[in-house]
Amino acid sequence: MLRFTLERLAGMVVTMALVSVMVFIIMEIPPGDYADRYAFRKFSGTGVSVTEADVAAIRSDLGLDKPMVLRYFDWIGGIVLRGDFGQAFAFETSVVKVIGDKAWLTLGILLTTLLLTYAISVPVGIYAAVKRGSAVDYGLTIFSYLGLALPNFLLALILLYFANKWFGADIGGLFSTRYQDAPWSLGKFWDLVKHLWLPAVVLAWSAVAYQIQTMRATMSDELNRLSVTAARARGVPEGKLLLKYPARLAINPIVSTIGFDVNRIFSELPIVAAVLGLTELGELLLKAYLDLDMYVAGAILLLLTFIIVFMNFVSDLLLAWLDPRIKLGA
Amino acid sequence: MTDATTGAPGKQEEKERQKRLKYYSASQWTLIWWRFRRHRAAMVAGTILGLMALLGVFAEFVAPYGPTTRDTKYIDGAPQIPMFCDQNGCSATPFIHGVSTKRDPVTLRAISVPDPDKRVYVAFLASGEETRVLGFIPTTIHLFGLSDANAKLHLWGTDDLGRDVFSRTMYATRTSLSIGVLGVLISFVLALLIGGVAGYAGGMTDNVIQRVTEVVRVVPIIPLYMGLAAAMPKEWSTTQVYFAMTLILGLFGWPTLARRIRSQLLSIRSEDFVIAARLAGARPGRIIGQHMLPSFTSFIIVDLVISFPYMILSETALSFVGLGLRPPTVSWGVLLQQAQSVRVIEQTPWLFIPAVFVVVAVLAFTVIGDGLRDAADPYSEAQ
Amino acid sequence: MLSVENLSISFHTDEGRITPVQGVSFSVEAGKTLGLVGESGSGKSISTKALMRLLPGNASLSPETRIAYRARDGKTVEIHKIKPGSSSLRHLRGGEIGMIFQEPMASFSPVYTVGNQMMEAIRLHRNCGKREARELAVEMLDKVGISNPADRVDQYPHEMSGGMRQRAMIALALSAGPALLIADEPTTALDVTIQAQVLDLMRGLQRDLGMAMIFITHDLGVIAQIAHEVAVMYLGTIVERGETRDVIRNPKHPYTQGLLKAIPSLETLHDRLSPVPGDIPSPTERPSGCPFHTRCPDFINGICDVNTPVETSPLPGRSVRCWLHNGADSGRSAA
Repeated sequence: MLRFTLERLAGMVVTMALVSVMVFIIMEIPPGDYADRYAFRKFSGTGVSVTEADVAAIRSDLGLDKPMVLRYFDWIGGIVLRGDFGQAFAFETSVVKVIGDKAWLTLGILLTTLLLTYAISVPVGIYAAVKRGSAVDYGLTIFSYLGLALPNFLLALILLYFANKWFGADIGGLFSTRYQDAPWSLGKFWDLVKHLWLPAVVLAWSAVAYQIQTMRATMSDELNRLSVTAARARGVPEGKLLLKYPARLAINPIVSTIGFDVNRIFSELPIVAAVLGLTELGELLLKAYLDLDMYVAGAILLLLTFIIVFMNFVSDLLLAWLDPRIKLGA
Repeated sequence: MTDATTGAPGKQEEKERQKRLKYYSASQWTLIWWRFRRHRAAMVAGTILGLMALLGVFAEFVAPYGPTTRDTKYIDGAPQIPMFCDQNGCSATPFIHGVSTKRDPVTLRAISVPDPDKRVYVAFLASGEETRVLGFIPTTIHLFGLSDANAKLHLWGTDDLGRDVFSRTMYATRTSLSIGVLGVLISFVLALLIGGVAGYAGGMTDNVIQRVTEVVRVVPIIPLYMGLAAAMPKEWSTTQVYFAMTLILGLFGWPTLARRIRSQLLSIRSEDFVIAARLAGARPGRIIGQHMLPSFTSFIIVDLVISFPYMILSETALSFVGLGLRPPTVSWGVLLQQAQSVRVIEQTPWLFIPAVFVVVAVLAFTVIGDGLRDAADPYSEAQ
Repeated sequence: MLSVENLSISFHTDEGRITPVQGVSFSVEAGKTLGLVGESGSGKSISTKALMRLLPGNASLSPETRIAYRARDGKTVEIHKIKPGSSSLRHLRGGEIGMIFQEPMASFSPVYTVGNQMMEAIRLHRNCGKREARELAVEMLDKVGISNPADRVDQYPHEMSGGMRQRAMIALALSAGPALLIADEPTTALDVTIQAQVLDLMRGLQRDLGMAMIFITHDLGVIAQIAHEVAVMYLGTIVERGETRDVIRNPKHPYTQGLLKAIPSLETLHDRLSPVPGDIPSPTERPSGCPFHTRCPDFINGICDVNTPVETSPLPGRSVRCWLHNGADSGRSAA
């Protein structure tokens, strides 16, 4: 088990290193650099005319005149060694400060969404497989199709509309105005919980649709296995039989795609966050892109990808633990 | 009489035999087509998609107005549904009520009010704005319009600038579908190259390519698209942005398909027919193209069809948040930019009509993909 | 202890109703072995699945079907009437009737140890605690000839060899102590040497435990070694039934004769094997009259392809469904 874990960890480091290169390239693509934007932002509207020399001075101050490879190592070195993700120019402070506890909010949203996804899709998928060909099964199939076709921002708008209509206006966002800037307390936490369900439902929607289909398909396959008939022939009660034999195996594909689900959720997050007014990383990422605040964008992209890679790692370990056929250490 | 009764079963049998013979000797593609045709939902989806494509291709003809033509007399106007009857009686030709502008007594804003006594008749193949169908056939004839050239028909209402939602949706359909097609094509070519090399070469090359594929797969795709889209210079023309978008979508759409091609190639690399071709001295390109690819083309096609929805949804999402196509280009996503708030649902819900197109297109592609997958699977059933 | 009368099973499929088993009757005596022989598709597996009500949801028994089983406590269970999901059905499955299958790997769940699955069966049917169940499982593994049973009990199925898995499968089916064991081609997937070992083992176990057994196979040679009585099935009906030795020495039905000719033996080593000509028709295209007439060497035109033969008894203790043994007048009266 130890060797297996270490191998996966090593793979994770390599992947993250390659991801960081890609993210850095994306950060470098926009025309002009941080110095241009900094100068423009600082002096625009002040009447001061900025010369090339001024910009060049800023550039060398910030070390931006170095070759790209060196700048990459400066950047990644800062992150790995000092936890320093660089400067957020739009906020004139460090990226770390801007991101702050938004990272935890994002993680909270992610975990709630994942929990909701599996709590719905696993039992419903099992049910659909057992009741194959029934009206409920067909209904679920149609729902799944719709779940995959409805753009998430549209769903967010629709849910927001009905939530406003039924529960009052203060439903968007992550906190009520009262708690928005308040320090953390039990009341604030409860307030967060009350707001979290809406983004969680929107984000879980397509993942649920997808995983119900996966669960239904694998469960149907497993139900036809001889081992299930054999267990039935030994007199195992039907309910226990379903859970112990086919469901236990049908869950493996779900576990192995946790990383994929996280990816899907993060992919949808910026837009859903923008529509619902969630003050977390997705929304910040979108803002950063629109402002070309590339250090903030790069840091968030790196962070989100890290969470995905980490969840892949977790899913590998879970799968190895769940399935004795996976040879550990091989 | 006796001849007829004994002849009938014989003929029946002969027909049956012919049918079977036809089945056994049909090519793989014919079989797939036969099975697909029996998939009713997929056939319906195919028809819908075909219609949508037609609407898009002939947008200039189908749309009564240009995508940016403004009707200042009818701003934020509700859909005008042609009717046959009103309080003044019925008519054989459908008509709508004319519009007159009044001032809102409270806000003093100009508002358009339908005038129930003024009828304007709908005309098919009416003459209107001059456009070029398919970009080169000049015409003033549109599929439909109003008999009165001064009045305008807004089937699906207008937006806050008085632009016709129906016309804009037609043009948007073209943009969005074509971006999907181009994006899928680009990613297909990339997947073929990358997956082909990895699967055919194997070993170290394969390892390196697998690593890179892994990296592209773990980064959340829409944020990645956003990053590239954000980098498009603001001064780029709409055409440049359009092609840049297709490139961005295509550039990262390949990993799934590339993996499929790779694993299929790896699994048939050691099959006898491939080894035979290699021993006969065929070059790698020929072995892949002539011998290996055809054995799983149907799977590739299914994967391609299934990847359309992702392209369309991605384009819509990016344009929706202002990181994709930009006005005056119209796409489904650009149109939906105007429908970003709950207020729109309450006041001008018709601005969501393009969303219906998105949902229907994505659904149609998914259903067709499923139908094709069932049809392409030789083990699905044998009748 | 088990008597089956008029067992007919139909499946409702998209192409309509298929009846792969029609009017099958047989009985099993306590402590004896009945061999069911037939080619694949003859309905032998489906018939035994019906005995445990293991048929899929789209299958149904005809109203004339009677399956009576006399349990160890002396009560008679009418299996065809038993309710699905009832406790008496659960007791019947495993507790009274055990079943082993052709593919041992597929009949174990790969994610639990052999011991886990055995202990589950033991605790379902015997009133005992975890430790006792474990001891019983080890004992059972020992009985089927697995070495180091105390270690093997914690192994996963994929960690065992093919022959050992089949032994473990037998131990699993026997662990709850059934009075009747249904063995569905238990030796077909094994090497010839291991096949002989497993057959030996099963014969020994049957003697020691005093079980009755239904042994399904397509191989008459195997039947000769293990079964007291044999029933030959073709396309869902039993065409010949009798004591194994008699049937093999003096087969009456042309199909049984064909099957016997197809067995390689030392005497016929230099001759060509003569398989039964033709293929078994699919259950959707069941021939009219005698189902075997399309492949029968003694086919009587005008009778065999028109009328279904009834069961007759040309010898004491033997029953055959064939016009050759019906006599001409019974053929006319049936028509």
